Amino acid sequence: MELLPQLLLAGVVIGSIYALAALGFVLIYKSSRVINFAHGQIIASGAFIAFALTQAGMNLWLAGLIAMVATFLLGMLIERVFLRRMVGEPIIAVIMVTIGLASVIDGLLHLTPYGAGNYSFPTPAVLGGQGIELFGTQLSRIQLTGVLASLALLAGFTYFFNKSTLGITMRAVADDQMAAMSVGTSVERVFALAWAAAGLTAAAAGVILGLMSGLTLGGLAGIGLKVFPVVILGGLDSVAGAIVGGILIGILENLSAGYLDGLVPGGGTREVFPFIILIAVLLVRPYGLFGTKEIERV
Amino acid sequence: MKRALVLSALLTLSTAAAQKTVTIGWSGAITGPTSDAGASYAAGIEDYCKYAIAQNMVPDTKLNCVVRDDQYNNANTQRNFEDYVGNLRASAFLGYSTGGTLQLKSTIQETKTVTFPGSYHIGNIDGANSDYIFLPISSYSEQLISLVEWVAKKERGAKIALVVNPSPFGRAPVDDVKKAAERLGVKIVDVQEVGANNLDNTALLKRFEAAGVKYVVNQNTAGPVANILKDAKRLGLLGKMQFMGAHYTGGEDLTRLAGDAANNFIWSTSYFLYDEADKPGMQLVKKVGTQYGRKADTIRSVHYTSGMLAASIAIEALKRAKGDGSSEAMLRAVTGMTGSKTFNPGFTVGPVSFSAKDHVGAESLRLLQADNTGNFKAITGAQRSQMFKLVHPN
Repeated sequence: MELLPQLLLAGVVIGSIYALAALGFVLIYKSSRVINFAHGQIIASGAFIAFALTQAGMNLWLAGLIAMVATFLLGMLIERVFLRRMVGEPIIAVIMVTIGLASVIDGLLHLTPYGAGNYSFPTPAVLGGQGIELFGTQLSRIQLTGVLASLALLAGFTYFFNKSTLGITMRAVADDQMAAMSVGTSVERVFALAWAAAGLTAAAAGVILGLMSGLTLGGLAGIGLKVFPVVILGGLDSVAGAIVGGILIGILENLSAGYLDGLVPGGGTREVFPFIILIAVLLVRPYGLFGTKEIERV
Repeated sequence: MKRALVLSALLTLSTAAAQKTVTIGWSGAITGPTSDAGASYAAGIEDYCKYAIAQNMVPDTKLNCVVRDDQYNNANTQRNFEDYVGNLRASAFLGYSTGGTLQLKSTIQETKTVTFPGSYHIGNIDGANSDYIFLPISSYSEQLISLVEWVAKKERGAKIALVVNPSPFGRAPVDDVKKAAERLGVKIVDVQEVGANNLDNTALLKRFEAAGVKYVVNQNTAGPVANILKDAKRLGLLGKMQFMGAHYTGGEDLTRLAGDAANNFIWSTSYFLYDEADKPGMQLVKKVGTQYGRKADTIRSVHYTSGMLAASIAIEALKRAKGDGSSEAMLRAVTGMTGSKTFNPGFTVGPVSFSAKDHVGAESLRLLQADNTGNFKAITGAQRSQMFKLVHPN
């Protein structure tokens, strides 16, 4: 039974990173009902901005903060230049814009010196030492920092949406854009803010992922789609859902890898398992665990 | 004086007209998956070609080396190949990915294009449609079996796990390694596929530990292996398990990514390394890389040397064919690199030799081990696997 707590703990670690990456989807969907397929590329952009700054000699923490500001502005720019023009257009057109954006950002990242290759952040001394042992499993300081940073950001956004005026305004816009506009809410401002906040969380996720498992464009951009089961399970418009969904998927992935990989030739069930859950959730509870259940009477 | 100038101009013009243009085309991943290796590989090809042109290695011939990105996408590889061979009448195709080369096998055979892939998958040169494909160095199968032989010498009955990339590249040596392990008296207890997005390897490593695995042999690229090593270090398994891998797992890429978690990693490759400054081939690598303004990381990468080797073989064949880039002449030149006519550009631990029956160039390899400075040091001399020939006779 020693394996079980270790798998659970590893699942929580990786799941909290998934949750942070999934938060970007939720922030945008929650305010504008748009699913951003370019989120993985924004995660990669944030990570590589931070990496470029560390290569120029900047301290990792400062580089991470600047990267978060940069992707905050990038998110705002994307909304202003591309998405704002799509207001009122069919949702499939908006989705196609984000898919196009994913390709364009991917191409632009390839043109940077970091588009091809594997890199790793210089590990600050404070993160390099001995980690801690929990339930018989060693956790590295990088993992601990990643989990704590993810949980802090997730808690911050939960508070923001539940308690702050702006957060409540964003929820109101998500619930009914016309009603929000009729009471003088700037829907455009809310959309821009949602994209910017999603950008900010993307950089945080990118830096944490980069610290944990290195920086490759494919790996970082790929996380965007990998967390899709997380947001579907948690509910596309629920921050709490992103947290619970992230941790659940992280744990289920690890349990699958621990107990099923040995039974399947070649293993690799952790890659498939989240998507099996995605299909099951869509069939049984398409709005996820915490998502808004929309009922239309016809 | 005027007459002399006119004569000189006419002579220059006629010489230029007499020069044949021969094309060598490479298609590989400068961007996309595995581009960490592919970008340096491409740089090695480009630079060696420039150097060969500057040295006039193939007299009376205008050498045209074309390097194109295919993003590790077989469809792009196919298009590049068709353009090189169909439009540019390429004399040699320098390939890259396993999938791309396997897909093109019948087309390569049909077009009779001498091909040197960057993939050392034994299937490239096995069976039908393999007359024109030549592996620059020993196959992944031979590399991995050499590692298993090392394990068998150290510990009979040892339990080994294979961790391979989920692709034809990763799966290529599995069957041969299993057969060899059986004969060598060691056990392959698990074969697991791990891709580039392996964010957490706790489950994988703990299962290996529970199964009594002491040796983990990787057929992958450096990125996924580095993540496994970092997780093994975190879980306190580095001393308990010996991690090893074939050509694309190791080198400076691995130590840069895994840091001190790469300590003691054992790596098989046929190439000399950057730090082996006494080797003439490595002196050339440094000289050419610096001359053409490459970054230090690129020059240090073993993949830069690999690209140079592939280009050097193709250009040497052209040279031996006296600039005749036709299929027949090229094939004759390549398969003639045998006996006293082997080719030794100095990039590998043994010379490059091919014949009609032998389509593997530098067959010798060494095992190297990473030390605590992050450098790989040879733990064997240049050698060949004894078992490989028995489990994979042709």
